[in-house]
Amino acid sequence: MQETVISIQSAEKTFPNGVQGLAPITLDIHPKERIGLIGPSGCGKSTLLKLIANLHQPSSGYLTWWNKGFAEVGKENRRLSFVFQEPTLMPWSTVRKNVRLPLDLEGISPDVSAPRVQQALEIVSLAHAADRFPAQLSGGMKMRVSIARALVTRPNLLLMDEPFGALDELTRNRLDEDIATLCAKDDLTLLFVTHSLYEAAFLSTRVMVMAAHPGRIFAEYEIDPSIPRNEEFRLSDTFATICQDLSKLLIQASQSSLLAEVA
Amino acid sequence: MPARLISIFAPLAVGILFLLLWQGICYFWHIPPYLMPAPSDIARSLFSNIDTLGHALYSTLTVTLAALCVSVVLGVLVAFVLVQHPLIERSLMPYVVLMQVTPVVALAPLIIILVKTTLLALVICATLIAIFPIISNTLQGLKSVDPGLEAFFRMHKASRLKTLLRLQIPSALPMFMAGLQISSGLALVGAVVAEFVAGTGGNSAGLAYEILQAGFQMDIPRMFAALFMITLTGLALYMATSSIRKLVLHNRVEH
Repeated sequence: MQETVISIQSAEKTFPNGVQGLAPITLDIHPKERIGLIGPSGCGKSTLLKLIANLHQPSSGYLTWWNKGFAEVGKENRRLSFVFQEPTLMPWSTVRKNVRLPLDLEGISPDVSAPRVQQALEIVSLAHAADRFPAQLSGGMKMRVSIARALVTRPNLLLMDEPFGALDELTRNRLDEDIATLCAKDDLTLLFVTHSLYEAAFLSTRVMVMAAHPGRIFAEYEIDPSIPRNEEFRLSDTFATICQDLSKLLIQASQSSLLAEVA
Repeated sequence: MPARLISIFAPLAVGILFLLLWQGICYFWHIPPYLMPAPSDIARSLFSNIDTLGHALYSTLTVTLAALCVSVVLGVLVAFVLVQHPLIERSLMPYVVLMQVTPVVALAPLIIILVKTTLLALVICATLIAIFPIISNTLQGLKSVDPGLEAFFRMHKASRLKTLLRLQIPSALPMFMAGLQISSGLALVGAVVAEFVAGTGGNSAGLAYEILQAGFQMDIPRMFAALFMITLTGLALYMATSSIRKLVLHNRVEH
């Protein structure tokens, strides 16, 4: 059996109001995969991500994390980090203390955590802003703090819920490149929800196109993981073709969602 | 900083203009001081009665600050209890509201009869008025935690105590501070109201007692002088709590 980071076994989510957010989904995510979830609104992208983050419980079916239950998550080589849509920083704490939070919650002493915090801040090039408060930062900088906070635990699985949605195109592209570099360097599995098919095409090794009514995986699209993800890739014909293919799939997924809604 | 200077001098100018107008009206129309004293009469009365008024101010201020302290300690404690479980909040909140909607003026005579020590009775009355904003604001603040951060704490398996100390209390701070500011004014209102009801309060006679006494003696300038001191106290309390609020929350504002 191939090792899985996440294994989803016919997990289904029906909300208390009776709406089926997610039809039963079966999906295996393997180490070092980078999976992008795209689809029309209401297709359950975020719900799926929250199931994986254990923020939602499946109504039926089950999930495993590294072939174990969620209780084992957080231990060595089974670390999970989540980057929210919003930066969700503590406005009363400095950048440094915000980034240190997950280590503090684990009970790691400041002496031990200080170099790790410094390193995480350097990755997102924010070491110079360590003593500033969130209110003194721009939107892009806040998001980078949020990413540093996710990276400081040295995660094996990074979940991101439309992390750069509120940022301008250039900032978003730069952050995407940073994430791609990180994933290439570390043994990091990535799963992210995005509205931008360019972002999905740039970062992913596998794109899941989802459709709504009920939320389901409509199509899967593989992208060669060996292609280096950099500015050159973004300007290449391969990238253009991938974007075209994804665009077509997205249109089909939308149509399928609409048909399902009418039916 | 001209904007800062303007915000100080503009209202000051309005105040001076108002006093001059008042003085002018009293002077030109020969309004007798027992009907409407001129600012100069009030100032004169203030200085000639400064000993008694100062003593009264001290007494009122003691009650006010004691009530504010008790309100903060008790109010925060009650809010913490209420936020522990929705069932606790639902069972107890109606009684907190009941306490708030009962006019303390109506309750004060009873408290003054029941409690032997006058000072204690006054503090209880003032606390009953001042505590509500602390409870409701702290409660709202404790519940106003960013859902994303809450999820983050949950995901990192943070203990209840850590969540309280590192998330709930800092989140509640801005609303608590707003409550403190409202309560500081209300504590003074409560102290004055209680003093009115207590009437001849022996050696703990506050500014309200001075107003009553001046009224009996038709010494209207002294009445105004006492009123002026109450207003000044209220203003000082407001400015003090406002400074505390700014000091505590200065990092959270956009620069």
